[in-house]
Amino acid sequence: MSSPAHDTQRSAQPFAPSARIAQFLSLSRPQLEALQLAKLGRQLTRLCGSSAYYRTRLEQARIDPQAIRSLGDFFAAFPTSTKADFLADQNAYPPFGERLGIPRDEVALVNMTGGTSGQGQEIYGRSQRDIHTQGYLHALPWFLAGLRPGDVAFNCVPAGGLTTGGWGPGEGLRIAGATAFHVGGTLSTDAKIDLMLRVGEVNFIYASTNYLHRLTDALLRRGLEPKRAFPRMRTLFIAAEGYPVEWAGRIADLWGCVLQEGYGSTQCAGFGASTFDDGAVRSDGARGLMHLFEWETLFEVLDPATMQPVRSGETGELVVTNLSIEGSPVIRFRTGDSVRFIASRDTGSGRPVHAIECGTIGRFDDMMKIRGNNVWPSAVDAAVFAHREIAEYVGQVFTDGQGKTECEVRVALTEQAASTLAPDCAQLLGAVQNAIKERTNVLMKVVLVPRNELPEFTYKARRWTDQRQQGYRL
Amino acid sequence: VSTPEDSTDPTERDYVVLTRMLSDAEQLCRTDDPFMLGQYRHLHGRVAALVDMMRPANSAGIVP
Repeated sequence: MSSPAHDTQRSAQPFAPSARIAQFLSLSRPQLEALQLAKLGRQLTRLCGSSAYYRTRLEQARIDPQAIRSLGDFFAAFPTSTKADFLADQNAYPPFGERLGIPRDEVALVNMTGGTSGQGQEIYGRSQRDIHTQGYLHALPWFLAGLRPGDVAFNCVPAGGLTTGGWGPGEGLRIAGATAFHVGGTLSTDAKIDLMLRVGEVNFIYASTNYLHRLTDALLRRGLEPKRAFPRMRTLFIAAEGYPVEWAGRIADLWGCVLQEGYGSTQCAGFGASTFDDGAVRSDGARGLMHLFEWETLFEVLDPATMQPVRSGETGELVVTNLSIEGSPVIRFRTGDSVRFIASRDTGSGRPVHAIECGTIGRFDDMMKIRGNNVWPSAVDAAVFAHREIAEYVGQVFTDGQGKTECEVRVALTEQAASTLAPDCAQLLGAVQNAIKERTNVLMKVVLVPRNELPEFTYKARRWTDQRQQGYRL
Repeated sequence: VSTPEDSTDPTERDYVVLTRMLSDAEQLCRTDDPFMLGQYRHLHGRVAALVDMMRPANSAGIVP
């Protein structure tokens, strides 16, 4: 892929540090919070002039953006926003809502959440500047994890489309100076492996947790030991889904390099935290920490019942404020993500930033992340029960024998439909499958079962089980 | 003193500005910071493409 001289130059210092990042990490906690406050003041001043949505909120909170004295004052007065707030704003002022912080004709990229909540998808307009920032917020954790200019990177996440996750990685790898192969969604797993073998020197892989499992499983099935097939691999970087800690250790053994993890979202405009180069699993086998990029994004971890900050070691809801994004910034946005918060003083890293625990990001609602799509059971409910012949259903998401995420929806007919349709109801099952795909973007297997095989839900229906982690065996 | 940036020809004026930016971008690419290097190379590439796009036709030996 490159000249020997260039190789030598690059491999001499694969983890050479960045002076710029080192500056941020050398700040004391009070200095970091002073930087956040200055950036917050600039952000709110800008939005006061450009966004009616945020101007109204500033007025409600009686905040003069140029006179905020402390982050505490801001947290105490400024109202949070939710997905429902954003959707209402978008419906009233389509397509971007009044929260858009730039003129509409300066929107250079449109991102939407992959949401299938039944509520709708949030829409974000990004400026040219935001596009670079989104790239930076992808390149940053990867650089910290060891990616360097000239490295060969395989991006296994599908590129393009409408999501931040479709565009951010491409921009991130580009501005990191990597030689990127965007193979996600375009090649089969075997074809990806064939290409990786042809390339030979691969230094970096970015993939969802599940896809890294699948890729590893496919390599082993072909009799290839990853660390022998790709001896120059430096970094495996995962995001999106939880995993058993034993699996992370096994992956690191098989590939001969450290597994790193990031937490990101559309609201963060990329990654908001990562393991730096610490690894997703600590040397004592415990789960690692993802340190927050607090110089770019303001994070709060709150008890959703009281809206008060949780203490170090406790779990709460992550609330996000963009300090640099100008297009459709989020200010005190409730993500619905459940995270275990570790204060900077308890991380043991010496870094001034707070952290969240690896591998245990959850939801305060029942959303599931399936093949990169945010799937709410309510969306599947709506698709299934739009067919009046269906009496009940249960769904299961699991990892199959090939390491692939699969979904099975088991449906039972009403008594009346059973007497007229069963057993010949292939057309109905196909219609249900199409309806689910349309609402969730996930193709699910739909099978018919007798009514007495499914439970009677007498209180809150819990129709879904997630057994993916049990399938992570290598 | 008249400079190329005072030119009434907007193409020529932009070309001069871009050439200066390219020189600045080349200087940034000499950074020792590997995190900024990729970003500066990205900037340099974008500016270089614009310089090429705006290069006056006669400078390439082409008579307009």
